Amino acid sequence: MNIPKLVIKNITRKKGRFVFTLLGITIGIASFVTLLSLGGGLKNEVKKQASELGANLIVTPKGWCAYEQISVLTGEQLPEAIPFDEVKKISAIKGLTAVPYLTERTAIKNNPVPVIGILYEEMKAFKGWEIEKGDYLSSQDEKAVIVGSGIAQQFKLNPMDMLTIRGEGFHVKGILKETGSKDDIAIFMPLSAAQKLYGVGDKVSFIAVKVDDISKTDEYILKIQETSNVAVVSDKQLLKSVLSIVGTVSITLQLIAAVAILAAAFGIINTMMTAISERRREIGILQAIGAKQRTIFGIFLLESGFYGILGGFIGVAGGLVFSSLSAPYISQNEFTAFLKGSDLAAALDLRLVIGSILFSFFVSIVSGLYPAWKASRLTPVEAISYE
Amino acid sequence: MNDIIVRTENLIKTYNTGKVKIFALRGINLEIPRGSFSCIIGPSGHGKSTLMHLIGGLDKPTEGSVFIDGLDITGLSNSGLSELRAKRIGFVFQFFNLLQNLTSEENVETAMMFSKTPEKTQKEKAKELLSLVGLSDKFNAKPSELSGGQQQRIAIARALANDPEMLLMDEPTGNLDSESETEVLSQIFKLHKRGKTIIIVTHNSEIARKAEIVCKIKDGRVDK
Ligand SMILES: Nc1ncnc2c1ncn2[C@@H]1O[C@H](COP(=O)(O)OP(=O)(O)OP(=O)(O)O)[C@@H](O)[C@H]1O
Ligand SMILES: [Mg+2]
Repeated sequence: MNIPKLVIKNITRKKGRFVFTLLGITIGIASFVTLLSLGGGLKNEVKKQASELGANLIVTPKGWCAYEQISVLTGEQLPEAIPFDEVKKISAIKGLTAVPYLTERTAIKNNPVPVIGILYEEMKAFKGWEIEKGDYLSSQDEKAVIVGSGIAQQFKLNPMDMLTIRGEGFHVKGILKETGSKDDIAIFMPLSAAQKLYGVGDKVSFIAVKVDDISKTDEYILKIQETSNVAVVSDKQLLKSVLSIVGTVSITLQLIAAVAILAAAFGIINTMMTAISERRREIGILQAIGAKQRTIFGIFLLESGFYGILGGFIGVAGGLVFSSLSAPYISQNEFTAFLKGSDLAAALDLRLVIGSILFSFFVSIVSGLYPAWKASRLTPVEAISYE
Repeated sequence: MNDIIVRTENLIKTYNTGKVKIFALRGINLEIPRGSFSCIIGPSGHGKSTLMHLIGGLDKPTEGSVFIDGLDITGLSNSGLSELRAKRIGFVFQFFNLLQNLTSEENVETAMMFSKTPEKTQKEKAKELLSLVGLSDKFNAKPSELSGGQQQRIAIARALANDPEMLLMDEPTGNLDSESETEVLSQIFKLHKRGKTIIIVTHNSEIARKAEIVCKIKDGRVDK
């Protein structure tokens, strides 16, 4: 006989209580891991998309809030508010390239897909796109689209296929080579065709600007604001404000997980207190045959720590499985849309795994302190006389 | 070495239950020779168990001292008392001596765990002791699968686990039918022949007749 063996024999005595208490901490840790790994994935993806936007400055209508700035990165539908005249004025500034975006939405087989109106030549030069299959767009007015590789794969699209967008037929002219960015999951059409299709006059949603000399970014911001009645943010500012929102969201989610874990901790305390009062007599016997107070303390502390270790392992595994299963569903939400096609595994780093298990162990040990102390303070006679 | 293994000196124990102060022991002076078979008798509620608890270091007296081999154990710390119980004293109580979720073998082993005996030795010794009390076919039985007499024999085997000089038994047969009682008593007499000091609380007149020392406790005092 040794102490760990004794502890395991004790803990599994009341099977139902063991399972339910374990479930509590397991669910707490699983939700903690899920939310943390989704949050981590979100942050990585925001950074990735920001760098893949390929722009130094984003020109938006005045009065856009952070929510709309996020949509620039996610490719969600945006209000169209910048007249094309402004695009021309900004393009005319020396030392920068400006490409307008009109971001709208359609559905293919009930799946929402972004439709982006672009100046196709400028865009190709701006992004360095290559064509995988078929041809590139060749006229501003043709009723044709270019699709990202992910979309082509998902809906089995090939050049010359027809797509119905907003009730009108467009043929798929070409398929882009995989870029690893959200361009893979969008449909592109000439700007004027998109403006006509969505009835937005000559407006665009936002303008991406690349400057020739990055050190003069601030000067360009001033210049653009002088020329045109728009708001300008640098990619760094954009990233910062988006990350701060993502941060707030993930902190909120973690708070929810923390409450779940707190509830689980009280579950453990409750189970341990019950076990101790049921086993008073046995505690007395243990003392009579020579167990020291600190041994009794250790036995009960280990018993509650066991919940943490086991719950930690199962919870982490469950959380990882759940977060990878749930990622596609919650990516319908704008805040989490970054997760589309993102590599979740990257976010599930070892630090999170080990950290969560240790955290679970820590929580269960702290929960066990008071009950174990109570158990060790029982005097042998008190425990033995207990009927 | 001293021939007296246990000596008590003016042992007083009071309990404070709310307003009333209960005098469980009112000054007990006792001497128990090494290797003797002593029997404590007396009416119910007159302090027999209390005396056993004090002798075994399970509780501390309100006044007075308990000497074991000349050492005043009332001065020991809690962990010192635990060590004393682990190594030098074996207890058998009237009811529920065993850990219910452990097999008989594991129950005996657990006592050795607290005296830091290696696990391999624990196993061998547990088997040996269970055979000694005639239960070699019950190594893997849980207490709930055993008769009351068998459970008490396992408790005796466990009390012997660390080879204590002294066995303290508080009505070990008080809960048994006469057949089981005979079984258990024969084990106890056997142990006495092997040289153990035995102190037993009992209502059984046969034991009292066979005992070398009979001590009657009445109203918290030794009634001679
Ligand atoms: N923890 C306690 N708190 C208060 N009073 C107690 C406590 N333990 C024992 N007593 C009292 O001390 C007195 C002696 O009790 P004790 O258990 O020693 O009697 P006993 O001789 O062993 O009786 P029995 O033959 O019924 O076992 C009794 O009056 C009892 O009520
Ligand atoms: Mg009694």
